[in-house]
Amino acid sequence: MSSGTYLEPADPTSHSAAERLQVAGLYSPSDAVLSVRDLNVRFNSENGVVHAVRGVDFDLMPGKTLGIVGESGSGKSVTSLAIMGLLPPTAEIAGSVRLLGKELLGLNDKAMCAYRGNDIAMVFQDPLSSLTPVFTVGAQITEALTIHNPTMSKQAKEARAVELLAMVGIPSPKDRLKAFPHEFSGGMRQRVMIAIAIANNPRVLIADEPTTALDVTIQAQVLEVLHTAQEETGAAVVMITHDLGVVAGIADDIMVMYAGRPVETGQVDDIYYDPRMPYTMGLLGAVPRVDVAEKTSLVPIEGIPPNLIYTPTGCSFAPRCPLVTDACRDGEPELLPAGGQPGHKAACIKSDALGSDADVLEIFSAPPVPVSRFDAIPRGERATVLELRDVRKHFPLTKGALLKRRIGTVKAVDGLSFDIREGECFSIVGESGSGKTTTLLEIMEFHKDQDGEVVIGGLSNKEATTGKARSAMRRELQMVFQDPTGALDPRFTVYEVLAEPLQNAGLDKQAIRKRIMELMKLVGLQPDHVNRFPNQFSGGQRQRVGIARALAVNPKLVVLDEPVSALDVSVQAGVINLLDQLRAELGLSYLMVAHDLSVVRHISNRVAVMYLGKIVEIGEVDRVFDNPRHPYTRALLSAIPVPDPQLERTRERIILQGDLPSPLDAPKGCNFATRCPVFAALPAAKQEKCLTLEPPLESVPASAAAQTLESGRVPPADQQFACFFPDGELAEDMLVVHETAEPHAP
Amino acid sequence: MLRYLAKRGITYVFMIFLTTSAGYFLAVSSLKPALLEQERIPRPTPEQVANSMRLKGLDPDLSPWERYVEWLTGIVTRWDWGRSPNGAFVNAEFGDRVWISTRLFLASIILTLVIGVALGVYSAARQYKFQDRVITSYSYLAYIVPAPIAYFLVQLGAININETVGERIFFVTGISTPGMEQGWAQSLDMLAHYAVPTVAITLVGWGSYQIAQRQYLLDNVNADFVRTARAKGLTRNQAISRHALRVSFIPVAQSIAFTIPAIFAGGFFAEKIFAWPGVGSWSIDAISLQDVNAATATLAYGSVIFALGAILADFATTLVDPRVRVQ
Repeated sequence: MSSGTYLEPADPTSHSAAERLQVAGLYSPSDAVLSVRDLNVRFNSENGVVHAVRGVDFDLMPGKTLGIVGESGSGKSVTSLAIMGLLPPTAEIAGSVRLLGKELLGLNDKAMCAYRGNDIAMVFQDPLSSLTPVFTVGAQITEALTIHNPTMSKQAKEARAVELLAMVGIPSPKDRLKAFPHEFSGGMRQRVMIAIAIANNPRVLIADEPTTALDVTIQAQVLEVLHTAQEETGAAVVMITHDLGVVAGIADDIMVMYAGRPVETGQVDDIYYDPRMPYTMGLLGAVPRVDVAEKTSLVPIEGIPPNLIYTPTGCSFAPRCPLVTDACRDGEPELLPAGGQPGHKAACIKSDALGSDADVLEIFSAPPVPVSRFDAIPRGERATVLELRDVRKHFPLTKGALLKRRIGTVKAVDGLSFDIREGECFSIVGESGSGKTTTLLEIMEFHKDQDGEVVIGGLSNKEATTGKARSAMRRELQMVFQDPTGALDPRFTVYEVLAEPLQNAGLDKQAIRKRIMELMKLVGLQPDHVNRFPNQFSGGQRQRVGIARALAVNPKLVVLDEPVSALDVSVQAGVINLLDQLRAELGLSYLMVAHDLSVVRHISNRVAVMYLGKIVEIGEVDRVFDNPRHPYTRALLSAIPVPDPQLERTRERIILQGDLPSPLDAPKGCNFATRCPVFAALPAAKQEKCLTLEPPLESVPASAAAQTLESGRVPPADQQFACFFPDGELAEDMLVVHETAEPHAP
Repeated sequence: MLRYLAKRGITYVFMIFLTTSAGYFLAVSSLKPALLEQERIPRPTPEQVANSMRLKGLDPDLSPWERYVEWLTGIVTRWDWGRSPNGAFVNAEFGDRVWISTRLFLASIILTLVIGVALGVYSAARQYKFQDRVITSYSYLAYIVPAPIAYFLVQLGAININETVGERIFFVTGISTPGMEQGWAQSLDMLAHYAVPTVAITLVGWGSYQIAQRQYLLDNVNADFVRTARAKGLTRNQAISRHALRVSFIPVAQSIAFTIPAIFAGGFFAEKIFAWPGVGSWSIDAISLQDVNAATATLAYGSVIFALGAILADFATTLVDPRVRVQ
């Protein structure tokens, strides 16, 4: 923080800040604040020694941001914990970690405490469990100050805590000091974590997947807070993530890790635009883009990362690399300069051949874009497989132990209508709490007492009163779940998992066996693996088993509940490609719920955006994503980071204020008014309309529709939204552009 | 808070009434003090027995319902819990017994808690080290060995000490030596009587607390919030003692609140072995002596103590866990 805002002469923090300046003065500004050399971490496990981190080197310059990117198990978190000295004592750590020139490795726990939370601080992944539940937020922030400034007065600590909370954007910080962590939402807790981390103006701030557990809109807020924190403290940041989009806009340098080793390092633009290692290229190609309507398949990286118990004899990526030759298996390649730019290094013997003209789709032999037989038929002429008419699910909110009084209603789903045609993928997007999952559950419930009508394959829930009718519906519609590990019975072999729905359908043994073999081939698994248990498969393979189980009874519609969110990027691409291919080959329809809008854009034909139980915008996916009309859709789309550094730096971002409101506090008129960037900029007279009237879901305004009709050929656009002022100005303070904007006040 | 207490209080009073009434019906229909009277020598005639019982309000000829109404009226109007077959008044007996039980258990409960929780923390901090293995093995042993045997062993130990020294330092049974003068000698005598049962009950009791506290603390030492605390600059042990300890104490606090009343009301082994005639032994004696009123009174006392324990557990939880709010 700047010294101007904090001028108490007796204050210990300003003293230590001055001290720090002196220490920094011993080094030229170009000198790194954090230097890691040949860092190696080994764990003893029951199966042998796991070599989790192998030879990590990097220098972190003051005020710069290093992004460490890799899949789970690549050693990125272990690296950060090793630097912080937070690994269990059983870990063997070798190498050198120098903070401001002082060696940290080999210091005991007590000696490390002088640095932890002072010169080097950390923000962890899961904000829900990272704060102590029994202490107030204020106490936890103050503790960080007390540890390193024992002489600081109580008032000064409280003042500083209030200042920190204000800096990370927590409203009425003074009162919130007394709040407990459970009274905060996930995003707010992560803000508190950041406040704790920057309490003592650290020189280095390590953020380990700080936004992975959060919604995209909240992710955008938290990244913004991290940006502010970095500006205020001038700290160098190590950002650890699996999401190439998150670091594209904020990192200066990138280190890609694979199997415990850095396999490519360089400046952010070099990594994104001129990758020289097949793994990096694959990772970049595996991520769908939210900002382009692509007509290509994703790059699948076959196989799984190696087991770190065995010492690799060649390139550890070789078993999954499409360009592998015998030379690759002959010793691990060194991290050598590649591409010509300073600092750009890659660990691949072929890096020189992989210029920017190399086609990643060709290298990884991405499958061709599958074409469904329904794609040629206009939507209106295809049969409807699912239709929802005004479906509602309201939960009463009650109070009292014996006599329950109704104090309110949670409108989890409030008047939903849409239909899905044959061969179509329809997706529902929105933040958590917007009612996506409840919608799926209502469809699966299929009971005549439901509020609203659900029609599946011509069968309405109002008519389906017998068990027979309902089981007929189950054959039309099947579901794939989010967590493939939890969705498969660990005591069932894959054969038993797949046989169960078929037995229910009344097939005989012979037919079941035949069908299971078909299914295994269909989802790209080896048929002779049917006798294995789920834990013998990787996450991606397990999800394929889940898909096979859903397809067993030949349904017309498959409901996908976050089908790839539990999978690593490289594995995710393979599953998405499979889903795409199955839709085309089998003429399936999908109803998908996902929070990752890039995945939605890639796979869907139509999309609905939900907010507090209502659809706020619905339509053809490219229309909605390229020309979003509802302010919420616009905010959602702008919040998604894109793996394109140049675009990401100049992109205008709408940062929504606060969290999804409690359904109890939902406004009378437009649900979104409390957070709406357009509403905030409206004159009071127009605001009145938003607050009192509920905007109906309507097609693109008459004038625009008339224009398209005049031009003749174009049919009316498939896009509807619920907003009175779609073209309204956005409130200035909710817009952020990093490259052009001046450093703004928190 | 007061409203909450009042609400809980009313619920528990109602439940205590139900259990006590049910207990009375059970006792009145199965316990027949008149049978015991007939074993006296010279054997009284049935008329004599019935007469003597009627005088004590234990008329065997009335129906259970009539006796219940009579008994309940006595309690509600005069707070009179009736008489025993030997003529003693339950009210008078009761006060003495409760006081004896409280004196016997109070010190050992406090010691058990403090030692058990402290050892739990100590052993958790040294998981799988020598100290942890010794302490936890002892706790499991104390858990397995039946309490009476452990008490006898402690008594034997005390007797051994007395014999080695050649002087009677400890009393292994009884509350006090009768006919002691007031003052220093009496206090010393009380202490000599008090030491053996207290040590014995404590030695047996702390094991379960140690095991629970160790387990809950170990569940929390690797929690994310402990890591956060270390990242702030606390050493591992500081982070554990400041952050993990209180969280791990939440379930322990609740179990403590529930076990204390159980010991008060049900410590009849200790009372019998150390010859401290408290509530526990009284309740057993009452049943064997076919004493309807005394048996019901001890049952009522047990219910009241359990209700107090439940309220205490709620209190303890709200005290240590801010996530739990009283409505």
